[in-house]
Amino acid sequence: MPSSFQTHASQSYLIIARSSPYVSQQARAALDIALTAAAFEQTVSIVFMDAGLMQLLKGQQADAADMKNIGKIITALKLYEVNRILVHQESVDKHNLDPAEFVEAVEVVTGDEIKGLIAAADQVMVF
Amino acid sequence: MKFSIVIHGAPWSANAALSALRFTEAALECGHEIVRLFFYQDGASNGSSLCVPPQDEIDIPGQWQALIKKHEIDAVVCAASALKRGILDKAEADRYEKNAHSLLTGFSVSGLGQLIDACGQSDRVVSFVI
Repeated sequence: MPSSFQTHASQSYLIIARSSPYVSQQARAALDIALTAAAFEQTVSIVFMDAGLMQLLKGQQADAADMKNIGKIITALKLYEVNRILVHQESVDKHNLDPAEFVEAVEVVTGDEIKGLIAAADQVMVF
Repeated sequence: MKFSIVIHGAPWSANAALSALRFTEAALECGHEIVRLFFYQDGASNGSSLCVPPQDEIDIPGQWQALIKKHEIDAVVCAASALKRGILDKAEADRYEKNAHSLLTGFSVSGLGQLIDACGQSDRVVSFVI
């Protein structure tokens, strides 16, 4: 049996969400990790980039794909104290999206800033 | 160094599982410690006791099991990932009134919290995704 959860110093997690919401389970897996880490009082940031930006679009009709609404899960992140929700500037520009139209307020960061976040995080997980 | 290993791939649909297996073996050979193996998403299928690979192909679940036994490694299959893929231990098979259980001896089923716990205990967490 696994050992029970031990107390450790809180770590910083950077979850990088690069997958579109409904073609695989990757988007959901990333959000599950983010929510779990936050529930265990870790410092969690999530950055959406590439096709992962599609997870942030309003008006997702997840029912049509018989899947859970990823946009709705994202709106719960702050409630669970996922500290920072970020989007990759260059991906936003490439897809010609307006961050004001996303399901949740986001911070826009450049690729260089993401490099710094990766270097600073204790744990980096890419989905 | 203390490592934890996260396995995202099923035994034969991605290289992730075999790469993770070889990495774990190499880490142990070099004297490192494995805090935990965490089998997530499709990786849960590595814990299946019902895989029958052809005789001339590698038995990845069997090799995991042998490695886990030899080195007494804590091997956790994510519960949510495992249940929906039909990887059940005896207790869950009984609870959900299924006609069989399918988890290899040496593996245990637990929640995502065990991954966060492993991160806290390890110097490095290495994920095998593709």
